[in-house]
Amino acid sequence: MKRPLSYKLNIFLFLLPALVLFLSILIAPIVMSAYYSLTEWNGLGTPEFIGFQNYVELFTSKSINIMRALKNAMLLALLSVCIQLPFALLLALKLSRHVKGERWYLAIYFMPVLISSVVIGQLWTKIYNPEYGALNIFLRSVGLDSWTRIWLGDKNVAFGACLVPILWQYVGYHMLLMYAGIKGMPADLNEAAMLDGCTPAQVSWYITIPYIRPILRVSVIFAVTGSLKSFDMIYVLTNGGPNHATELPSTLMINLLFLRNRYGMGSTIAVMLIVLCFFFAMLINFAFKEEK
Amino acid sequence: MKKLVALMLTAVMLLGIASAFAEDITLNLWTIAVESDASYETFTNAIADFEAAHPGVKINHEPTQNEQYKIKIKAAMSAGTDLPDVFFTWGMGFLGEFVNAGRVLCLDEYYDAYKDELPENMTANASYDYEGGKLYGVPYTMSEVVLFANMELLASVGYDHIPTTIEEMNECCDKLLEAGITPFGVSGKELWCLSEYLEPLMIKSVGTERLIKMYNGEESWNNPDVIAAVEAFQNMVNKNYFDPNAAALGNDEVKTNFIAGKYAFYQNGSWNCGDIDASENPAKFQAGLFPVLNPDNASLYELIGGPNNTLAVTATTEHKEEAVAAAFELGRAMSDADYKKGANLPCWAPDPEAQVSDLVASVADIAAKAEGMVLFGDNFLSADQANTYLDFIGLAYAGEISPEEFAQGMDDALYNK
Amino acid sequence: MSASRAKVNQADIPVAQQHRFKWTDVLVQLGLILWAAICLFPVYWMFTFSLKNNEEIFGANVMGLPQNWLWQNYSRALNVGNMGQYFLNSLIVTITSILFVLIAAIMATYAMTRLQWKGRKRMNSFFMLGLTIPIHAAIVPLYTTLSRAGMLNSYWALIIPYSAFSLSMGILISIGFMGDIPYDLDEAAFLDGCGVWGIFFRVIAPLMLPAVSTVGIYTFLQCWNELMFATVFISKEAYKTLPVGIQGLSGQYTTEWGPIGAALAMATIPTLIVYIFLSKQIQESFIAGAVKG
Repeated sequence: MKRPLSYKLNIFLFLLPALVLFLSILIAPIVMSAYYSLTEWNGLGTPEFIGFQNYVELFTSKSINIMRALKNAMLLALLSVCIQLPFALLLALKLSRHVKGERWYLAIYFMPVLISSVVIGQLWTKIYNPEYGALNIFLRSVGLDSWTRIWLGDKNVAFGACLVPILWQYVGYHMLLMYAGIKGMPADLNEAAMLDGCTPAQVSWYITIPYIRPILRVSVIFAVTGSLKSFDMIYVLTNGGPNHATELPSTLMINLLFLRNRYGMGSTIAVMLIVLCFFFAMLINFAFKEEK
Repeated sequence: MKKLVALMLTAVMLLGIASAFAEDITLNLWTIAVESDASYETFTNAIADFEAAHPGVKINHEPTQNEQYKIKIKAAMSAGTDLPDVFFTWGMGFLGEFVNAGRVLCLDEYYDAYKDELPENMTANASYDYEGGKLYGVPYTMSEVVLFANMELLASVGYDHIPTTIEEMNECCDKLLEAGITPFGVSGKELWCLSEYLEPLMIKSVGTERLIKMYNGEESWNNPDVIAAVEAFQNMVNKNYFDPNAAALGNDEVKTNFIAGKYAFYQNGSWNCGDIDASENPAKFQAGLFPVLNPDNASLYELIGGPNNTLAVTATTEHKEEAVAAAFELGRAMSDADYKKGANLPCWAPDPEAQVSDLVASVADIAAKAEGMVLFGDNFLSADQANTYLDFIGLAYAGEISPEEFAQGMDDALYNK
Repeated sequence: MSASRAKVNQADIPVAQQHRFKWTDVLVQLGLILWAAICLFPVYWMFTFSLKNNEEIFGANVMGLPQNWLWQNYSRALNVGNMGQYFLNSLIVTITSILFVLIAAIMATYAMTRLQWKGRKRMNSFFMLGLTIPIHAAIVPLYTTLSRAGMLNSYWALIIPYSAFSLSMGILISIGFMGDIPYDLDEAAFLDGCGVWGIFFRVIAPLMLPAVSTVGIYTFLQCWNELMFATVFISKEAYKTLPVGIQGLSGQYTTEWGPIGAALAMATIPTLIVYIFLSKQIQESFIAGAVKG
């Protein structure tokens, strides 16, 4: 069917606001970042084109040490997938089985997601405070003095200490997604299995989990790309310290940009992050398709 | 009708002229003196005095917290728009990057009028060689690293003075530790605080001239004297002379702890005099210097510090004359006021009748006796180098790199670059 | 339904097993309560220490309720800490961003689902790219562009990027909701003589109200809590949003926790109040984004 020109114009007009926002704020900056990543630029003056030197330096420089930041991000992603998601799934399975106070639990578990990461980060810095923090006070009061640590200042435990609030905050989010998925199941599916003599665990394993597979895929993608992008909590808790032990790609980028005036190198990290996010999103999609 | 139009036009024009005359010039001033800062009040007073002396000129003071200020001023400088007329800056490397970008107004032609009050030797850290110009900032206060000591705690282990040799210092620290007192307070979270300990060791091991050459990348860091200084620093760490909680503490907390009597010593900038004097019993605190490490190379009065806090004028200001006048006159007023408050030492010739506390007087006395001065490393170096440098200091403090690796790393970052 | 099912189950299970079941039920309940306590503790702690002085926080009474309720911590956070201003800024930025996202997302969704044209599927996938793009990727170019345009330190410096980065999710959610609107309505309106705009404004837009709340809530949480752009693009006190303000405030009051606690509490209370009244819709908004994708 041939449409009149005015129809096409209308389509364009309807798309216009979204397109303008999207192209100018997302797409154009990415192209510009890609260009800046090929330059040496201190933010003042004009960028000087240097080819792929930044990429070489990024992966070889000891003082930038991107590998440590990537390793931290990967560890965060791994723990999200291996601890946070299974735990969220467990909670979702339990809650969806008509536990007393189901709605209450749901509301409480989801609450940390809503609170600003800055607030949660600030609270945890207080919890981790070596002298006055709740954690060390608790350990001392139960006689575990030797367990007390300078949680955010000791390079051996700092990253672990940062992981706890990050993982903790988003358990509720993944739980909610899974819970919604389970509740969306046709009721007779579960009941038929129950009547066939399956234990609740068997029902979960053979029926519920395969059923909510699409949601698990979304959860895994969010958990992995979220880990790569993670910024707020580390920025508040340690800002990458002590001695860069808790550095993530995002905090490293901000550090290079605004403390070291290295706009070219900062852009290089930005480009690397986009590539990684897309790579993992595709990889996870692929993995979930294969098993079907 | 024509007459009426003409009349109206004239009226409009007159009104326009009148309003142009009546319009005040507003200068925008950016500083780091946020309300909780000791300098906020002195800035406010200095501005009020300036406005009274220059009718028709208003100053709009916009303070920003230190770390955020660095981002903010760099952002504005990089864009070249939305710049203030007068801005606070640190000397050497920090201001240098803006000067090299052509963003800062050269003050050479205005300096003569103030030469008598602002001695030339105080302008070194705001002087650059850029397109034939020289002076690009008005330094107003200088600071030096001093060793603050809690004499009550020292007395409790039998010392009536700050140890004068490195052996005596170590002995004193051991006794303090035995008595359950932490010798030194430091923030391990803020790396510049660590440099306040390492740099005095460095200058007292290598000497003033060589240290300057090292920062300039003209001499290698890989020499026995640097290594000896880092060794001494790590030795202090290993013997637990520093607060074991240092890694979790910010500088403000450390300072509060020191004033509360938790540490025997606190080595930091002379700007802390004001806070210490404001404590309940300032008489128990003294300011001194860390002992010499290598007497062949350095003497006690070779110091880390120098003129640093500076006001500069942007090249694009619309009101050159007024902005320059504001920079110099506010600088002069701040120099005086901060000195009297114990917030810093003056760059400008101080009011001879100024009444200052004993602590400030002793710090000023140290400055007067100085036999050499090197600016704080992180101010001396450019932003990228300074952060590498601070990282290495952090690593050395944490014992993750050996003194040799420190020296080699600094060479890789600075030498021949 | 849950009650009747519990009855059936109990009737089917032998007595011995019932006892075992009860034990595991108790364990499950205990576990659930423990996790609830872990989720609530930081918030409880925040509210209590926001009302205490240093002495209580640092030793005398760490975990308990405050002995003297120090409401002046709140007035200090408001007056000295400037919390009121930050709050207002967050509100302005967030509400404007929500409006932008809603308008752009619903219009684009209409074009991509109700209007027939080649490439609308591809256009949709193009927008969905935004779900994976990290916000950091744009920071340098946005920063330089904003600063050249003299727009750093303005509400727009946040509103525009926030709208752009919430747009993809907005479209995703809107597509789900618009799909539920029967096409018959469009046709009826068309036969009544409405053009595409008429259909959009008279039929689609009013029926998209449920999407408005879902998209709105989602965008609200993204913008209300965002830190990175807000830190970098805003340095003027007058435009700081809550997260940046709190970050700055905690730098100023390192040794005094009370006012910090009060500031944290003030930033959190509105979200919690909204949550208490709209918990279902809020949860829905998060589910909608993920599940309908």
